[in-house]
Amino acid sequence: MFALIKLIQSLFGALHSEGTPDQLAAGIVLGSFLGLTPLVNIHNAVIFAALVLLNVSFAGGMLGWAFFIPFGFLLDPLFDWIGHTLLFTPALTPMFTSLYNMPVAPLTNFNNTVVLGSFVFAVLFALPLFLATRVGVTRYRATIGARVRQSKCYRAVMASKVYNVYKLFRP
Amino acid sequence: MIAPASAAAPQRFKIFRWKAIGPLLVLLVIVAVLWWLFADTIARRETQKVGTQMLGAKVEIQDLHLDLAHGKVLIRGLTVASPHEALRNLLQADELVADVDVVPLTEKKLIINRIAANGLRFGTPRETDGRVAAKSGEGIAGRVLAETHEWASQFQVPVLQLATGKISIDSLDPRRLQTIPAADALGARADSSQRAWKAAFDTLRLAPTLDSAQGTLEKLRRARVTDLATLNAARQAVDRLKRARDRVTTLERTVTQGVAKLKSGLAGLDSARGRDYALARGLLKLPSLNAPEVGAALFAPGAIRPFERVLYYAQLARRYMPPGLLPRATTGPTRVRRAGEDVRFPKERNLPAFLVRGAELSFLLQRAAEQPQRYAGSLSGLTSDPALYGRPTVGTATGPQLGAALMLNHLRSVPVDTAGATVGGIRFPAPRQPSSASISTATRSTPGS
Repeated sequence: MFALIKLIQSLFGALHSEGTPDQLAAGIVLGSFLGLTPLVNIHNAVIFAALVLLNVSFAGGMLGWAFFIPFGFLLDPLFDWIGHTLLFTPALTPMFTSLYNMPVAPLTNFNNTVVLGSFVFAVLFALPLFLATRVGVTRYRATIGARVRQSKCYRAVMASKVYNVYKLFRP
Repeated sequence: MIAPASAAAPQRFKIFRWKAIGPLLVLLVIVAVLWWLFADTIARRETQKVGTQMLGAKVEIQDLHLDLAHGKVLIRGLTVASPHEALRNLLQADELVADVDVVPLTEKKLIINRIAANGLRFGTPRETDGRVAAKSGEGIAGRVLAETHEWASQFQVPVLQLATGKISIDSLDPRRLQTIPAADALGARADSSQRAWKAAFDTLRLAPTLDSAQGTLEKLRRARVTDLATLNAARQAVDRLKRARDRVTTLERTVTQGVAKLKSGLAGLDSARGRDYALARGLLKLPSLNAPEVGAALFAPGAIRPFERVLYYAQLARRYMPPGLLPRATTGPTRVRRAGEDVRFPKERNLPAFLVRGAELSFLLQRAAEQPQRYAGSLSGLTSDPALYGRPTVGTATGPQLGAALMLNHLRSVPVDTAGATVGGIRFPAPRQPSSASISTATRSTPGS
């Protein structure tokens, strides 16, 4: 329940934040990496650091993370297939062999079919997601954003103290 | 921080959120502290998990201490359950000390220069079922276990059948015997053949033909050259002789075939007699004293099971230590998400993913005895990529009543695993017998080599 409230707060908080649609879309894209790929991997530490350090919507990142976790589970067979296909492509074998035998790179678990497949999918999915989110946020703010902000429901949700957590990292 | 939308003057867009560096550093410090606090626990759990997954039986560690600064790993209270027996351990070790190369860890490669193991014990009892692969059948260990079990199950070792119950000869019904009817049939066939051959011989009527031919011959002696009638009679006599010869030949062939059939019948009679003897023996339930059967019943159950276990470990070694340098996949780590497959890409003149350069083992057996037996062993070249290491895995063990050596040569495309051992004091299990045996046998497990 707490997670759901937090998710709704994140959603509204992000949509009505002072951040630009670009910042929000970038945050959601970075968050999608966290949700789509298996979490405990070094690349996700880098993504999280980027989410914190770059001037993108942190709330958008959290929203993207929460939103894409179920899709990550759902698409795991697809990721497995993509990763398997890539890792066993003869033309790519020299590259993977070099990566596998250099420091640090193996710690990213790139040689796991699900990790590689989900990461490649997330990279390919990043640009369409960024563009679609940007358009969506712009249109939302231009159409019903102001009315939602004035609604009692929105004020009730945002009055919760949990919202303050998000405020720490708002853009 | 970006400027508010309501700001009148445009501000330069900032890419970095510099104020977040502080919290991020705090987060890193927290992570570092957590690692410092829980690294041993994490390493212990991961070692247990990986060990269990690889071996197909529970691997438990009481305490694990990482000292990466000095490249040492100390394991206390290692227990490895048996993959085959529910309430038995494969081995227990009081202490294991490993010298680890730290730099290869950055390449996710575990290179152990030396392991010293003390206080090893084998086959100790345990309170809970430690089998994993045998119950789940998953993973490489599960598949190998199923394969070896299937291999072993194809040997149907007969139970040593000894006399049981009341011996009764009343149940031997002569009508169930096959020899007598077969002999009767053969006798009848012989009589019939004899009659047929005699009749055929009688129908040959060779005497008139021979007499006629003799008369014609006499005439020819006295005849002149121009006596055409005599010559014609001589030609006819020769024709009759030829036809008589053909009839004799035909009769001879018929008799030969008939005799062969009778001989075959005699052989069938022997078979029928053998079957009757078997039937009679079955009724009497006499013990089978054929050497191969007795040997199989006595030694096969005790030999197949250990061989099945050796085969299991040999097959596991072949799966985890494959020859060659081609990319190969293994099941990925267990996690909430799909495990997927981990693909390894070995490269020439690089370190293998796992290597134990040398291990020294020492253990005592029969600790409770007045003079416990001290054993010593060594292992070298245990690696996940034999082609990279370039040398086979070699192991030895010596001690009282024990001398064993092992070599796993997976350098070439066809792996060759060799093992030899001389072990004394082995007790063979007593052969399985029907519980209602009225004739007891004096079989007892006795020590042997």
